[in-house]
Amino acid sequence: MTAEPRQRSSRVPVWSPGRLLSARNIVLVVALVALLVFGPGLFGAYWTRILTNCAIISIAAAGIALLYGRLGLVSLGQVSLIGVGGWITLRVGHATSLPFELVLVIAAVGTGVIGVLVGLPALRLSGLNLAIVTLMLAGAFEVIFTVTGFPNGGEGFLGRATGGVLQQPLARPALGTTDPEYFRYVVVVTIIMFVIIGLHLANRPGRAWAAMRQSEAGALAAGIGTVRYRLWALAVVSATTGVAGGLLAGNAGLLDPISFKAPASILLFATVLIGGAYSLLGAVIAGFLSQGLPPLLDALGVDGNLIFVILGLGMIQAITTAPRGIAGQLQGLARRIRGLFGKKERP
Amino acid sequence: MILPFVVAGLVLGSLYALGGVGMLVLYRTTGVLNFGYGALGAVSAMLSWQFVELRMQPLLAYALGIVAATALSLIFGLLAGPFLATVTILTKATATLGLALILLGLMLFAWNDKARTLRLPTDTIGFSIGTRITVTQIICLALATAIVVATSLYLRHSPTGTAMRALASDRELSSMLGVGVRRVELLAWTVSGAIGGITGILLSSQTRLEPVFLTFIVIPILAAVVVGRFRSLWGTLIGGLVIGVVQAVASAFPSTSSFSNATPFVVATIVILYLQRRKVVSIEVAR
Repeated sequence: MTAEPRQRSSRVPVWSPGRLLSARNIVLVVALVALLVFGPGLFGAYWTRILTNCAIISIAAAGIALLYGRLGLVSLGQVSLIGVGGWITLRVGHATSLPFELVLVIAAVGTGVIGVLVGLPALRLSGLNLAIVTLMLAGAFEVIFTVTGFPNGGEGFLGRATGGVLQQPLARPALGTTDPEYFRYVVVVTIIMFVIIGLHLANRPGRAWAAMRQSEAGALAAGIGTVRYRLWALAVVSATTGVAGGLLAGNAGLLDPISFKAPASILLFATVLIGGAYSLLGAVIAGFLSQGLPPLLDALGVDGNLIFVILGLGMIQAITTAPRGIAGQLQGLARRIRGLFGKKERP
Repeated sequence: MILPFVVAGLVLGSLYALGGVGMLVLYRTTGVLNFGYGALGAVSAMLSWQFVELRMQPLLAYALGIVAATALSLIFGLLAGPFLATVTILTKATATLGLALILLGLMLFAWNDKARTLRLPTDTIGFSIGTRITVTQIICLALATAIVVATSLYLRHSPTGTAMRALASDRELSSMLGVGVRRVELLAWTVSGAIGGITGILLSSQTRLEPVFLTFIVIPILAAVVVGRFRSLWGTLIGGLVIGVVQAVASAFPSTSSFSNATPFVVATIVILYLQRRKVVSIEVAR
């Protein structure tokens, strides 16, 4: 008897209605719609502004989480890429009268190209070497940003107006001129970026990345073009991080080099580890930890400098006992609760 | 004249190298690349400054600062060492980022990030050979060279040094051969912490006494270690000196001065990329 290959394709249709309309997705959509409609009214002006920043930073956190959780790469220079995205946004925004959305796309493409170009020589690196090189690049970008500054409506390629000239902030997008509107605008863009990253994770690139993380030799043997997929990961992460930079630039209309120093990258990486690098929920938590926790501590009357201590302790705790971060612990809790209810229903 | 810049660069470079040697001793023995090294030095410098401000005898104050850095390093090694031994090199290094953040936060809590100056008594004594050289600068250069020589001799010839090198090759095998793994590791943490404390005090007298600046001076120190290919003490010394001199000379010219601070990053990136130019696919499975 000849053996008959009875293999089914491992491809599960992602877009089947049954999967799309799961209870989790419905709850998620309802929660997001509620956030968009009632959010600004509920939080008040101060917290709306802070949560806008949280949402923006969570995009960059999702990029770090993708690199660390899916590819096992530690990048300690992501804040520099936010800066690059912000620089391009301000420069293009001042030079042209394109709508802000188009400027964001240009910033995404530009940052993606720069991320890939910078990453190209670092392609062979992994592990500790990559972490060191990205830290060095963060340091180098810090120097560059300090020298060039960010465009503020001046003349020349750098677009710097110095001296007594009045700084000219970039106008906000037409769809988000006020703080509450801009909050909704940012949340929508963040959702789009998360969907882009989520689709990558759920499909072929995500599987290829996971295979490369397990064993590069194994991935090669399985016929995965490791160079191509690694570059693609860099491009996706850089582009979404560039969008985060663009949103940050659009918020205030001006950027300060002081926000793009190397320590900021390390802090952001710490928050991703604490939030959880293996899920997009972790990225949201990381965004809150990096932008929402300091004002929260401030409101509670705790010295703002202790944020470093909290994040440092959290980072060590995450590495030693909770590698999946807060998000992983929340998901474990949800699974346990579901398990309890599942048992009750059965008899 | 360019001579003053070369001297300043040599001094700064020797301090990068000194810190690099301290990092290397720990890395070679335990596999931990300590990103919190700058923070240890910063604690030592800030404490020394504080004690001097409190009218303590300067020498005693410096000694206490160095002891504090040593103790912190030892405590971290004592608490985290057993865990760190079980994880990958990358995770070990990441955990020390946590140490850096904790120490930085505590320092910023205790002292704000204002610019202070730590005046060593040896700063005022000096002589002139075309440019003025202070005794502190001589100490920096001499100490860096002496520690490199002493450490390489110690690693080569003493029993504990041999044990350290054995540990660097294979932790399990050396424990099989009867090396007191924990004892040797803790010794490495102690020595590294002490060198870090000395480096911190000297660096703060030569550059700036600011917690954030000193904590992240670990990046140029790391660059010196990279030039030493994570192995060679002499390579680290030369790397540190070259980085320091290039940086100082670049700061002498108006066209390059604003980019001079990027020297360590550029040098280290080029060296890493050069060393990894022929990397083949590694056959290791993620744990």
